[in-house]
Order: sequence, then C-alpha cells, then structure tokens
Amino acid sequence: MSANHHGVLKHHFDNLEQQHAAERLGMWFFLVTEVLFFGGVFVAYTVYRYWYPNEFAFASSHLLLWVAGINTGLLITSSLTMTLAIRAAQLGDRRALIRHLLATFALGAGFMGFKAFEYYTDIHERFVPGEMFRQELAKAELELHAGHGGDHHGTAQHWAVDLAKNNADKSHTDPAYIGPGRVQLFLCFYYTMTGIHGIHILVGLGCILWLVQQAATGKIPPENYSTVEVVSLYWHLVDMIWLFLMPLLYLAGAGAHAAGH
Amino acid sequence: MHTPEHKTDGPSTMHDVDNPAAMFVVYLVVLGLAVANILLSTTPLGKSAIYIQLGIASVQAVLVAYYWMHMRRGDTAVTLSAFCSLFFIGIFYLLVFSDIWTRWRMAM
Repeated sequence: MSANHHGVLKHHFDNLEQQHAAERLGMWFFLVTEVLFFGGVFVAYTVYRYWYPNEFAFASSHLLLWVAGINTGLLITSSLTMTLAIRAAQLGDRRALIRHLLATFALGAGFMGFKAFEYYTDIHERFVPGEMFRQELAKAELELHAGHGGDHHGTAQHWAVDLAKNNADKSHTDPAYIGPGRVQLFLCFYYTMTGIHGIHILVGLGCILWLVQQAATGKIPPENYSTVEVVSLYWHLVDMIWLFLMPLLYLAGAGAHAAGH
Repeated sequence: MHTPEHKTDGPSTMHDVDNPAAMFVVYLVVLGLAVANILLSTTPLGKSAIYIQLGIASVQAVLVAYYWMHMRRGDTAVTLSAFCSLFFIGIFYLLVFSDIWTRWRMAM
C-alpha cells in the first residue's frame, strides 16, 4: 500500500481505522435524527389508531396488500445485495461491487415502480383525502339509495361502496359507524408516511448511483470501503423503517377483518 | 499521522469481512418473518395482532441492525447512539400516552 493509502487517508486522521470509525459514527448520528423524525410520525399514528381503530382498520383493508408484500421482498433483498457490495469493496473486487450496487439500485427502483403503481391505483379509485374522497362517497351513497350500490366502478370491493353500505343504517353514535373524516385521517398518514419513505428511497438511489460512478472510476479501493458502508447504513435504515410501516399501514385492516370486525 | 506499529491501520482485515453464507441465512430469516407477518394478518388474532406484528418487525429490525449494519462489531459510540434514539422514542410515547390515558378528549 502506498504511504498515503491512495490518497484515501484525510490529513486530520491518525490512521484509516480512526477515519472509518469517524465516518460510521457520523452516519449513525444522522440516522439517530432520522429515527427521531420517523418516531414522531409513528407516535402520532399510534395515538389516532388508538382513538379510531375501526376507521383505521377499514381504510387499511382497502390498500393493496399484495403490492406492499412485493415491495417488502424487494427492499429486504436490496439490503442483502448492499451488504454483499460492502464485502466486494473490502475484498477489492470492483466488478462484483458494481454488480451488487446495480442490483441494489434495480431493486430499489422496482420498489418505487410498485409504489407509483399503488399511488396511481389509489388516485384512480379516488381514495385520496379531501374533495375527491367526499365526492366519491357522496356518489356511492346516492347510488346505494337508488338501488345500484354494488355496481360502483364494476367492483363490489370499492371503498366508497363499502363505506356507504356500512353506514347506511347507522347513526353517528353507533359504535359500528365508520367516520369518513377519520378514514381520511388514516389516508393522510398513509400518504405522508409512505411519501416521506419514498423520498428517502430516492435519495438512497441517488447515493447508490454515485457509488457506482465512484467504483467505475476506481475511487473505491479496499482502503476506502467505508464509503460503501456509510451509504449502506442509510439504506438499511430505510429498509428497517419500511418493516414497521408495512404492518402499521397495510396489515391493520386484514387482522381486524379476520377477527370478524 | 500514520503509525506503522498500529496493526489495524490499513484496509479491513478478513475478520471484518461478512461471511456470505451467514448474510444469506439472515436474509432468509428476515424474509421469512415478513411472510409470517403477512400470513398472521389472515388469522383471527383481533386486537393482539398489531402487538405480534410489531414484535416480528422489531425482531427483523434487530437482525438488520446487528448483522447488516454491523452493530455486532460492538463499537461503543455506535451502540450508544442507537440506544439513545430508542430511549428518546420511548420518551415520546411515554409523555404523549400519559396525557392521552389520563385526559378526556373531544370526538372528531
């Protein structure tokens, strides 16, 4: 190895071990702020779910669970390929490093593709808080009163039809009544939490592309493997947050329905 | 400055390099737990479902942090940072729910 470790060692560090430890710790400090940021959103979600369990279960059961399942698989697999990329960097295997990074990028991009499809479907079904939601529900209620309740958009599982049918013979004080405002509150959480997570995925994808460029130009020698490790820490955290978002947002309704709620 | 006597001064040593077989086993366990979580949602667990599902997610998170984020290396500062974040989230929940459980709320 050359005296300056291919120019990797910064002048203010005594050695590479110290430099790598500082880089890792700096990223961990950043991750702590991320955990606190998402923690606040999780606390708010928990409060409202505790208050309005029926509405949250109803709204959750109308999300696309199969898309969330595929996306979970994609993210977990991308974490594996990211870990293998660190190993390749440590061993100085540049081709394997680029291969694993590109695989991670493809899996992350696949996640965003499925997420875009999910948003498109939700918007197409007007399952969006605000005017769209109110108009769609009013239309379903009118159709229900006119006797065409089950034919909305050609599917009996449409959220507006289900909501109108559920509330048709109930007063607002009935425990089984599902408040449309509270359903929209769940949707606010759904779009905010998945949206913020999606932005984090996009940032991660940008960092991975940068790593590919660095690796391709030979700027990630084995001494500098921590560059890959620092990005991988971020990527794993984003993966970890999804592991909690998935049951909170997509599985809340499935469990309630199976229990006969 | 570079000190030649420092034995870990240089590229990572082999004991720092992940074993691919071990990483793949972790992958299968984390993936299997995700599948279990989804399958659990089809069972009549009722209100306890969310606690079991979040418990499974926590096990997955621990595996990811310990093996893939290399917390198993036992870096004190890193471990302290990770536990600090959990501690502060605990305070978030404690303060908010101590208020919610002890006060009347308005209906939405």
